[in-house]
Amino acid sequence: MDLLDLIDTIQSIADGVLFGTTYALLGIGFTLIFGVMHKINLSFAAASIGAAYASLLILSAVKAPAVVVFLMAAAAGGVLGGLVYLVGFKFIPLANPLATLMSTVGLLLLIDEIIVHTTAGVPLNYPALFSDVIVPIGPFNLRGDLMFVFVLGCVCMTVLLLLLYRTKLGLATRAVSQQPTASQLCGIGIMRVNILTFVITGVVGGIAGAMTGAAIGMLSPLLSLPLTVKGLIVTVIGGLGSIPGAIVAGLVVGGLENFFQFLRGVSERDLYIMLLLFAFLVFRPGGIFTVAAGRD
Amino acid sequence: MLDVTDLVTAYGKIEALKGVSLQVEGGKITCLLGPNGAGKTTLMMTIAGVLQPRRGSIRLKGAELAGLSPARIVSQGVALVPENRLVFPHMSVYENLLAGAYQRHDKAGVNADIERMYARFPQLHERSEQMAGTLSGGEQQMLAVARALMSQPRLLLMDEPSLGLAPLIVAEIFNIIAELNRDGTTIFLVEQNAHMALQVAHQFFLMEQGRITFKGTPGQLAEDEVIQRAYLGTRRAAG
Ligand SMILES: Nc1ncnc2c1ncn2[C@@H]1O[C@H](COP(=O)(O)OP(=O)(O)O)[C@@H](O)[C@H]1O
Ligand SMILES: [Mg+2]
Repeated sequence: MDLLDLIDTIQSIADGVLFGTTYALLGIGFTLIFGVMHKINLSFAAASIGAAYASLLILSAVKAPAVVVFLMAAAAGGVLGGLVYLVGFKFIPLANPLATLMSTVGLLLLIDEIIVHTTAGVPLNYPALFSDVIVPIGPFNLRGDLMFVFVLGCVCMTVLLLLLYRTKLGLATRAVSQQPTASQLCGIGIMRVNILTFVITGVVGGIAGAMTGAAIGMLSPLLSLPLTVKGLIVTVIGGLGSIPGAIVAGLVVGGLENFFQFLRGVSERDLYIMLLLFAFLVFRPGGIFTVAAGRD
Repeated sequence: MLDVTDLVTAYGKIEALKGVSLQVEGGKITCLLGPNGAGKTTLMMTIAGVLQPRRGSIRLKGAELAGLSPARIVSQGVALVPENRLVFPHMSVYENLLAGAYQRHDKAGVNADIERMYARFPQLHERSEQMAGTLSGGEQQMLAVARALMSQPRLLLMDEPSLGLAPLIVAEIFNIIAELNRDGTTIFLVEQNAHMALQVAHQFFLMEQGRITFKGTPGQLAEDEVIQRAYLGTRRAAG
């Protein structure tokens, strides 16, 4: 491999890591809901893409700047998150582990269908910020739109961590995830924490959906299934319930995905990510940051 | 202060409480003894609102608690130190105490109370930044008590606070119970350790198979009979 190849390789890994923040955000969403409810919300990535679509459709009449579209995606994500809780969890018997898996698969398909029917399945252009900016660093060129996605992702994670570790709501959320009975005895309303977790992860998902649209330049209903799979892979590799794990795994999966795409092409890249998942399941099933059992 | 009348709580079809009536007097220590599986924990969880009763009433100074959410019951001034302590393992001692004060909004008052807990339980002060899951059993029990006190309860419920602790620590826990009571907190205590319980209690009840089978003061029944019935149930005592 000569020097130019090496530079291209590193360039593609860097692009992948930047885009990996979207995976990290999706992973955080899966992981947070798993943390408080010990349930997987399979409709999360679909709802995230749905929120990005909603931001386009709601603002289609006006020519809104990209920032407004992003904010709208976040808001729509929050609303969708609340709806997912209401439809997929509130009235479902939580004691049965398969029940919510089924209800959220149903929601995933429903959201996909709604997207396909409202847009006739045609991909829509998504606005990006700083897409005309290229920052040269030595022999590398960092794309402005990807850098924006990366910075936005980092800001989002920071805000989320501050929320979790510096606020009363965050304290309640962690309490419920570690010891639900004791939380009730402290006067914490578990239902309220659950709803707020869905709304907040929904906002995060909406931002991730918008970031995906901005990085790719468009939205397509075909995005939701691969993003669901990527989000779950990131969650498992990071360690179910671990936020730092989701962040690291998101960036790693993003970087490796682009690396393999560069080496082997787009049709083969997911194969290697699956192999990575397989290796983790065999050799380190608890993920990078194994979360010690917090429940009795 | 607390009046429980004809309380029935069931797990599915199995009634764990089959019509329990008892009274806890204000300012006193009332103790509930009984063998494993008698329904003591079920009673505590029902009073705290974590379990909903099928029938019966739970009145605190006349106000009905049955049917309220656990959060509402905490706001009425009832706190439970649960069986097995149930501290938040991945939260610091300090955060566990903050969680206990979840419903309070007087920041200054909460901080002052945390300082008071640290003064009363010096081990907790030393370990304030340590994760609760890394504490010893005795320290976790102190933390569970302190966390419950952070909600400023009028009535403190305690479910087997001595469970699995070394004798010295048990003695310390009972000292704390007596001390809290002297400071004016009404205490309703579930115990297996009949010997220690009878020393601090003003009143006690025996529970067997979901029913109250004896009510009295510690002098009223010979200690070995209490112990026999508390550990083994009536069948053995009769035989
Ligand atoms: N979660 C549960 N599901 C079904 N039965 C239970 C449950 N918890 C307790 N029980 C039953 O209820 C009865 C009373 O239990 P418990 O209140 O824990 O007794 P104690 O605290 O006096 O040892 C027991 O027979 C026990 O098997
Ligand atoms: Mg018990």
